[in-house]
Amino acid sequence: MLKKTKLLWSFLSSVQLTIFLLAFIALLAFAGTIIPQRDLAIHMPSPLFTFLNRMQLFDLYHSFPFFLLIGLLSLNLLACLLKSFPAAWRSFKEQPSLPEAADFRNVPEENILRVTNDQQTVMKIIEKIIASGFNKWRRSDTIDGNYLAGSKGGLSLFGICIIHFSILLFIAGALAGFLFGLEGYVNISEKESINTINLTRGKGTMSLPFTVRCDKFILELHENGMPKTYRSDLSFIKNEKIVKQGHLLVNHPLTFEGISFYQASYGLINNKPGAILAIFRNGQEIQNLNAVKGDSLDLPGKDGRVSILRIEENLMNMGPAIKLSITSHEGNRVFWVFQKLNQIIESNPGIELNQVINPDIFRSYRFVMTGMEEKYFTGLQVTHDPGIPLVVLAALLMMAGLILALFFRAQKVWIRVDSDRDFTRISIVCRSYKNDAGSQREIKLLLDSITRCLDGLK
Amino acid sequence: MIHTSLLSIVTFIYFASFLFYLFSMLFVRNFWGRLASLTALTGLVGQTAALIVRWKTSYNLGFGHVPMSNFYESLIFFAWAVVLLYLIMEWRLKNRTIGLFVLPVAFLLMAYASMSNISNHIEPLLPALQSNWLISHVLTCFLGYAAFTMAFAFGIIFYMQKLPGPDENKTLFFRLLPAKSTLEDLMYKSVIFGFIFLTMGIIIGSIWAHYAWGSYWSWDPKETWSFITWLIYALMLHARQIRGWQERSMALMTIIGFSSVLFTYFGVNMLQSLHNYIG
Repeated sequence: MLKKTKLLWSFLSSVQLTIFLLAFIALLAFAGTIIPQRDLAIHMPSPLFTFLNRMQLFDLYHSFPFFLLIGLLSLNLLACLLKSFPAAWRSFKEQPSLPEAADFRNVPEENILRVTNDQQTVMKIIEKIIASGFNKWRRSDTIDGNYLAGSKGGLSLFGICIIHFSILLFIAGALAGFLFGLEGYVNISEKESINTINLTRGKGTMSLPFTVRCDKFILELHENGMPKTYRSDLSFIKNEKIVKQGHLLVNHPLTFEGISFYQASYGLINNKPGAILAIFRNGQEIQNLNAVKGDSLDLPGKDGRVSILRIEENLMNMGPAIKLSITSHEGNRVFWVFQKLNQIIESNPGIELNQVINPDIFRSYRFVMTGMEEKYFTGLQVTHDPGIPLVVLAALLMMAGLILALFFRAQKVWIRVDSDRDFTRISIVCRSYKNDAGSQREIKLLLDSITRCLDGLK
Repeated sequence: MIHTSLLSIVTFIYFASFLFYLFSMLFVRNFWGRLASLTALTGLVGQTAALIVRWKTSYNLGFGHVPMSNFYESLIFFAWAVVLLYLIMEWRLKNRTIGLFVLPVAFLLMAYASMSNISNHIEPLLPALQSNWLISHVLTCFLGYAAFTMAFAFGIIFYMQKLPGPDENKTLFFRLLPAKSTLEDLMYKSVIFGFIFLTMGIIIGSIWAHYAWGSYWSWDPKETWSFITWLIYALMLHARQIRGWQERSMALMTIIGFSSVLFTYFGVNMLQSLHNYIG
């Protein structure tokens, strides 16, 4: 039983498992970028599609295999942490282990220095050098030589622990967000309010414990027609009292009672422009309405019925215009009402005689277009993510851990001073956690310092 | 526009620098190597000036923003970061041989940017891009990409070192190439540098996404591919622990990693993504 646990433990904490998991997570992530996911997946009414859908192929990032891999990675990380943290702590707190003669069996010649000074002097010099360059060091004097051990950079090992812990924290935060978070969207027309939002992933709707009203929507365009800024002025209403108001812009969300609102998009209501039409009868204004294409209204006294056929922002470069048709017992009259009528008449004298643009064309009525009326709705993203604090902490720890791990080098140096024929022999061995060329450099630096100090004595 | 003309000149300067590095390989004289470095430096200075002019011009047009907001600008910035990192590294290492492999990347990026189907006009920013996060996100990501480009160059050189044939037959250039153990160290260091910056870039990008779209991660193809790139390099850093996986596998991984960087940068434009306008 114990052997099996040992095997399982060794498997769970192995680097091989990490590599396997990282590779498979990458593969799954890759698959998700070429197979259309969620909303982008086209729904084909076929048994194959249903099967693939059941296999979660169209929601890979929330699928069972993905969660399984992440779960295994979490176990792997936990096992590594449990193994490496005590070691990092020890290396940080304790003195380095002392070497034995056997450790110097395969020292290459370039890491050996032979000098004429006596062992005592040499040991004094080396001790000073080690003490100044290494956090922790130890000395032992035996029959076959003097030994010194020095270690430094233990922070680097902590750095690695911190990186791994931060990933666990991140997974926890992401899971919290996934399980207990809220993600939805809602469109609010200008001057209207809502208290229900639509949830993503087809989860239906949800009502809010408060009302959100869009007091105003402001849109500014660049010269090339692309949006420059768009802003929603929102009021948060609870118990019929405005509790909070604010400007909502892209990149500047508003939060109320823990729920955050983001300016995501906007659009024209009815997806078509509206216009303001004023109707005069015998010189008196009888109607002033916001018209959209398809509207129709009756004129008083059964004089006829007006229908809005078209609304154009710029008709034949003559500016905004509304196309009306009036149906009465006299038949059907169709004509255009231009907003900039006066300017048009000025630049084209005589044009007002043309039936199509004559605003007085029908009896004693006069139709005037006073402006374009574009009513917008604002598209908001609505979220609440309880995992955010964990995720933020994870990100900070990850960066701290990376810096610690990569700017410090955990190193252990073993030095033996003994006599080799007529010389005092200094042999250096260096073990570095990273196993890179830095070890050799460290040895060379030490040998140079030793040589310099000994030369200085002469 | 003056800055686009200047950038076109810089493109040719980088090509000239590449040629000089090539000559330094064929004709063994210090002169060509020094000329190559000087040319590359001239190009970098010119490119920096052009970028500053473009930055200022955008303000004169009324919609000022840092020159890092569309595909054209990102290509130019990538090339700039690559040459900058390379020259710093060349100065620290005192070794010019790597220039032969890095300058072509810079040149190709600039040349691609000057192709007619990529608009080089200074465009006003969409509301989503009007954010202070833009600079730090783009900067860290591209410094990361540039470092991974260095690692890729080292990986290529590593494979060149392994070419068959006794040493005497190889020209002096080959013998001037860094030794395998040095290459391993250089690959490791550039990957570390790139990894730190890529991690920062992803974190900053997520923070920005949180403020812009309400979600710090939405598995958008660009986000996912940057994650895949991150995983590949994380894998590489772990594979070093395994005895016997060093060196050769490291070189292979720098090449695989760089392919992932290229796909993250270019390839995602072929997929549907919120990032498409950035490129």
